[in-house]
Amino acid sequence: MSDLNDELVLTYIQESRDQLAELEAGMLMLEEDPADRANLDAIFRAAHTIKGGAGVIECGFIEQFTHHLENLLDQLRGGLLSVTPALASELLRAADHIAALLDLLETGAEQLPEALAAGDAELVRALESHLDSGNDTAGAGAVTPGMGSPDAFESTGGGVVASDGWHISVRFGRDLMRTGNDPLSFIRYLTTLGEVVALETITDALPAADEMDPEACYLGFEVHLRSGASKADIEQVFDFVRDDCSLHILAPRSKIAEYLDLINELPEDTMRLGEMLVRCGALTSAELDAGLEAQRMLEADGEERPPIGEILVAHQAVRPELVEAAAVRQQHVQEKKQQEARLIKVRADKLDQLIDLVGELVIAGASAQLLADRARVPDLKEATSEVSRLVEDIRDSALQLRMVQIGETFSRFNRVVRDVSRELGKTITLQVTGGETELDKSVVERIGDPLMHLIRNAIDHGIEPASERVAAGKPEAGSVGLNAYHDSGSIVIEVSDDGGGLPIERIRERALERGLITSGDALSDKELANLIFEPGFSTKAQVTNLSGRGVGMDVVRRNISALRGEVEVHSEPGMGSRFTIRLPLTLAIIDGFLTGVGSASYVIPLDTVVECIELGQSGQTRDYLNLRGEVLPTIDLRHNFELPGDPPARRSVVVVSNGRAKVGVVVDRLHGEFQTVIKPLGNLFKHLRGISGSTILGSGDVALILDVPALVSTVTRNESAQLVRQ
Amino acid sequence: MAKTIFLVDDSATILLSISSILQKAGFETEKASNAEEALKKFNGGVKADLLITDLNMPGMNGIELIKEMRKLSAYKFMPILFLTTESQQSRKAEAKAAGASGWIVKPATAEVLLNTVRLVLH
Repeated sequence: MSDLNDELVLTYIQESRDQLAELEAGMLMLEEDPADRANLDAIFRAAHTIKGGAGVIECGFIEQFTHHLENLLDQLRGGLLSVTPALASELLRAADHIAALLDLLETGAEQLPEALAAGDAELVRALESHLDSGNDTAGAGAVTPGMGSPDAFESTGGGVVASDGWHISVRFGRDLMRTGNDPLSFIRYLTTLGEVVALETITDALPAADEMDPEACYLGFEVHLRSGASKADIEQVFDFVRDDCSLHILAPRSKIAEYLDLINELPEDTMRLGEMLVRCGALTSAELDAGLEAQRMLEADGEERPPIGEILVAHQAVRPELVEAAAVRQQHVQEKKQQEARLIKVRADKLDQLIDLVGELVIAGASAQLLADRARVPDLKEATSEVSRLVEDIRDSALQLRMVQIGETFSRFNRVVRDVSRELGKTITLQVTGGETELDKSVVERIGDPLMHLIRNAIDHGIEPASERVAAGKPEAGSVGLNAYHDSGSIVIEVSDDGGGLPIERIRERALERGLITSGDALSDKELANLIFEPGFSTKAQVTNLSGRGVGMDVVRRNISALRGEVEVHSEPGMGSRFTIRLPLTLAIIDGFLTGVGSASYVIPLDTVVECIELGQSGQTRDYLNLRGEVLPTIDLRHNFELPGDPPARRSVVVVSNGRAKVGVVVDRLHGEFQTVIKPLGNLFKHLRGISGSTILGSGDVALILDVPALVSTVTRNESAQLVRQ
Repeated sequence: MAKTIFLVDDSATILLSISSILQKAGFETEKASNAEEALKKFNGGVKADLLITDLNMPGMNGIELIKEMRKLSAYKFMPILFLTTESQQSRKAEAKAAGASGWIVKPATAEVLLNTVRLVLH
């Protein structure tokens, strides 16, 4: 070997090792997403480069082996084969084998040693066994007309070819040979793009022997090509003679579905039909130009301008169904544009101003209603109640303006799940339900971050590695769920996973370590699980760049609290965990239920009220009562808020629910339904538990709005703590 | 047996770069730095399977060379490729009419060059 050759071989080995690394990475990705077209192309390209280089340095054993691999990859790329686990592992073995061959080449060997040769042959057989049947002539060199197995050939007379592939119909120009071109060279070159499965030589144009010009070309071919190449690639082969011959390239049926998908995925811009077909690859620019030229000619002849689609179909440039699909898509885009024009964009602050005004109107309306009630003039009362009803409608409509579906926020997470799970090497799918659930825009905007954190957490900590999952008898692919629904005047968003559940024992240890609990505390599993929301809590031994720094969950809870919501976790060992976020539907106006205790007024959000009952006279020993055989914890507002004075003889209980537990709120008086505008509490009162805001009554007095979920959880916690102590 | 490719270009750099790509790919090369020299060699009966020529050269240009080549009975059907650039599209038709088989758009990658050569030499 000369020095130059040595250098070339070293360069080749170096380059091929790089390509091999890409090949391997691509093959691993292939298992995850067998349909990833870009990946398939990259794998094929890497194999092709290794093979091509082997040809240049004349290393026969690598060239031959990679040739078999390339055949297989080409069929995968062309959609003739699909990836099975067996195939995927053989592909990886093939990559290992190429690595071994490269090592061998580096030692300067020119022949395979016996052991390697046996493995080589065995692997080639294994690869070949996957090949599409009847396809073992792939890449077997030049294709001569009339050669090959008889059943692989189909007459093109009927115009329909049964097996799926590209159909190329070419009639060469008379001067082809006079320009030094050989008709067969094009057909031979096609074999580098794929496999010529059928070929018919068309000699119709051949004149009688005495009229024949021996230097002229009278031939045409009908070629059936099985290939993963694009239409433009195939047309490129005939580039030199494109202008002088008649060429029609028809896509295989399998390709049609791909084109149809591409047409439907085109951006929603106004596009011309031809442009759409070129963009999706069904039509080449040259074909479009020829079609447009024909259109111009017909028009110049004084005929009515035919649609370009018709011309293209008549020219056999595209299949009619594609023209149809493009036309439908074009119309769809136009309609959508028109529809968009019917929407009006409004600045968010204008909307907020309207909501504020409606809020004031609600208060003023309540005031008028009160005066009318006192005046006892039936007509006035009727008129004001009509006004109140309209105000209520206006309020609902105004709030509806701010409502958006949560689906858009949810769909953003598809990408997050895909990227993060890939980064961690896990297979995880995202199941989204309830995307049509509506909630206030300002809530939607602010819920994105906490959701993102919970989802990342579910992927990182929740879903176990594939090996653990398989050992536990679960499907290898993990599943993360996002769900939303309305419940008791709140919107509930759930983030669930089917992972290993929370490690309760480790949470207990960590909580003890951090001083969050003491060893004497008797806590239920559920209470332990919810300790993860405490500041500075993280149990994951290994800190990943996704989560595990111990700042996550408490921030999640803080963000959700800021939206007047709450979050809690349910965990089932081995079955997974579910984070439940409960948020108020709206931040501005609610239907309330007005109650009085002493001289103070309290508003209970109406959608949390279940029923009202009278408090029995029986002396109560503890804060609960018997509600039709059910234990109902109660909270006495007079006692809770330390109001002065004695309770009246008759008192009422408003039974409220946070969707999970019921609590009785003991009040002095019931005033009934009442529309109310929530005025947030000042910063000074932010820490108050049980009060979510204030409102102004029709009389001008201030009433406090009860934070029912907070009350319920306080009460249930007190109750269970008492029970545990006993 | 290795095929021989005859290169004609007045630029030594282009001659060298193309010939080294072709040689690495296993082709034999013959070179001439102008059309007259090339024609002289062909008249002398040099053996070649393909001619690649530049179009713009001092003295006889590439198109004239192609026309002359097609007059020689031994090279009547030999593939001839010409080197062109994106901006010279109008000369393509002229060169084709003169009898060229095809073209290579400069600057071409080794892959494009070899693919084109293999297409016409198949």
